[in-house]
Amino acid sequence: MLDAYFLQQLINGLTIGSAYALIAIGYTMVYGIIGMINFAHGEIYMIGAYTALIAITGLAALGVAFLPIVLLVALICAVIVSSSAGWAVERIAYRPVRGRHRLIPLISAIGMSIFLQNYVHLAQGSRNMGFPLLIEGGFRFGAEGDFQTSISYIQITIFITTLICMAGLSWFIAKSRTGRACRAVSQDLGMSSLLGIDTNRIIAATFVIGAALAAVAGLLLGMYYGSIDPLFGFIAGLKAFTAAVLGGIGSIPGAMLGGLILGVSESMTSGYLSGEYKDVVSFGLLILILLFKPTGLLGKPEVEKI
Amino acid sequence: MNTSVKNIVTAVSASAALMASGSALAEIKIGIAGPMTGPVAQYGDMQFSGARMAIEQINADGGVMGEKLEAVEVDDVCDPKQAVTVANRLVNEGVQFVVGHLCSSSTQPASDIYEDEGILMITPASTSPEITSRGYELVFRTIGLDSMQGPVAGEYLASLNPDRVAVIHDKQQYGEGIATAVKETLEEKGVEVPMFDGITAGDKDFSSLVTKLKQADVDYVYYGGYHPELGLILRQARQANLDATFMGPEGVGNKDINSIAGEAAEGLLVTLPPAFDEKEANQELVKAFEEKGEDPSGPFVLTSYAAVQLIAEGIEKAESTDPFDVAAALREGSFETPIGTVEYDSKGDMESFEFVVYEWHSDGSKTPVN
Repeated sequence: MLDAYFLQQLINGLTIGSAYALIAIGYTMVYGIIGMINFAHGEIYMIGAYTALIAITGLAALGVAFLPIVLLVALICAVIVSSSAGWAVERIAYRPVRGRHRLIPLISAIGMSIFLQNYVHLAQGSRNMGFPLLIEGGFRFGAEGDFQTSISYIQITIFITTLICMAGLSWFIAKSRTGRACRAVSQDLGMSSLLGIDTNRIIAATFVIGAALAAVAGLLLGMYYGSIDPLFGFIAGLKAFTAAVLGGIGSIPGAMLGGLILGVSESMTSGYLSGEYKDVVSFGLLILILLFKPTGLLGKPEVEKI
Repeated sequence: MNTSVKNIVTAVSASAALMASGSALAEIKIGIAGPMTGPVAQYGDMQFSGARMAIEQINADGGVMGEKLEAVEVDDVCDPKQAVTVANRLVNEGVQFVVGHLCSSSTQPASDIYEDEGILMITPASTSPEITSRGYELVFRTIGLDSMQGPVAGEYLASLNPDRVAVIHDKQQYGEGIATAVKETLEEKGVEVPMFDGITAGDKDFSSLVTKLKQADVDYVYYGGYHPELGLILRQARQANLDATFMGPEGVGNKDINSIAGEAAEGLLVTLPPAFDEKEANQELVKAFEEKGEDPSGPFVLTSYAAVQLIAEGIEKAESTDPFDVAAALREGSFETPIGTVEYDSKGDMESFEFVVYEWHSDGSKTPVN
């Protein structure tokens, strides 16, 4: 079935999947380090998209139209604001209750998520806001008249940016001092702290890194879809969380793989069955994986610590 | 048809003059229920501004039977659950007349409550046929039905002699209802509908759908639903170079679709109630809106105005504020409103209501095509 139509759906799926993966990183890193799910992460992504839109609109009002500058400024603003929000979530909703019963930070994170959603609702209004079309056009393959496979520049941008972010993150975790500390903390929080690692700082850093990647996704997906609203972080967060679990929560390559599988399965379902079954298939997939491989595709079975 | 506003002005001011000023004994509460927030809040704005204007003008002319109208505004966010909550709130506030709701999926559950509690409801916007098909005594509307709008859209599309038309909807009561009516009309006329598919309201990624539409090689796409999704579909279709003309119901025809779809909104076909604000008889009223800095051109502004006016005239005709008496008066009478002469059938639907096909432009303006 390797025809143009299949190829087109594959491209659509990979694009959306790589954006899911960017958001999923935030879930998987936080889980890897403190063993908890950051339920406010979808909102961090939404805030990233809003900040980017505000920056783009502001630059347009100032008369700045040179695309690389606009994108760069929007990206920097989104990353800074989202990272601060990520840091604040850790500081307000996690740190004060760390070490207590696991349900407590879970509930405080959900509270944080509701707060952020409604804050943006109030500050920006609840209407859908249109994102200007910044990157237009694309490549087309196939004979004129036939079904043409097309890759738009924005799809390429999403794919390449994701790859760069993933490569950068892998390098950071593997080589840098903070990355090493991250791995140590994820293996044993208490022991790392005894060995002189500032665990508070490392935990805050994982929230910030996850938030920064979510902000990148916010900018990219905002441009790709074309409109944002205060509630769109929720469903994206849910999908990214699914991707993280699918790939094996706690594993960074797992988040990438999970995101891509989810994206492709969604677009194939809409393409060959019907859009109505998209969510049925992706969440059905999650249930199957959890039933037969509870640790996810690339997750390591948790060793009971004595 | 003319001087519909003057009618109430004279009628009401005459009675008011007799009763002298300051005789407002009690106030008649009019509940206005619609979305103030949420994705379709712009339609709510139309509803609220129309209803407020009517209440203001009626009060300025001395009210109804010497009593002032008082608006009780509630926000249902176009969410069926929220609609039930606010309907109960209106019940608790002692409201006996409601202008609302806007989304069919909100109007339906709310109307159950109003009917049970003996409250008269006139929806200025809900077009689902189901709402008035349950034998309710107190449910009316100042808008047409999907079963009228769907065939208008279907017949128009069929008249363009298309080869293949795809019909998409958002799986909600309004969207799916209208899409089904369009599909049936098209098939009756012998137009092939190779694709009838649903999407999820609130979704952002329609690249797969657009690819599928491209593969299906259709000339026209009919979308049953609201503008947030169609705006994105238009935009993503343009990016993927889908060469098809889109058409939608009045739920997509507002200026917000332009901020989402941008250039891609050019050429979109929309069935809308006729532009009541362009009618000769309504110019005085249009001016009143403009003086307040409000836009009377939305499809639900004057239907909401008419809903309030009908309640007021119904009360006067029945000489009673009992909702059942008012309902009986509405069914018997014939009323001159900004949306034309309103006469009701036994179900609470207007005897006639016209939909017109417009072509939408990327600057938010529209031109009639037939």
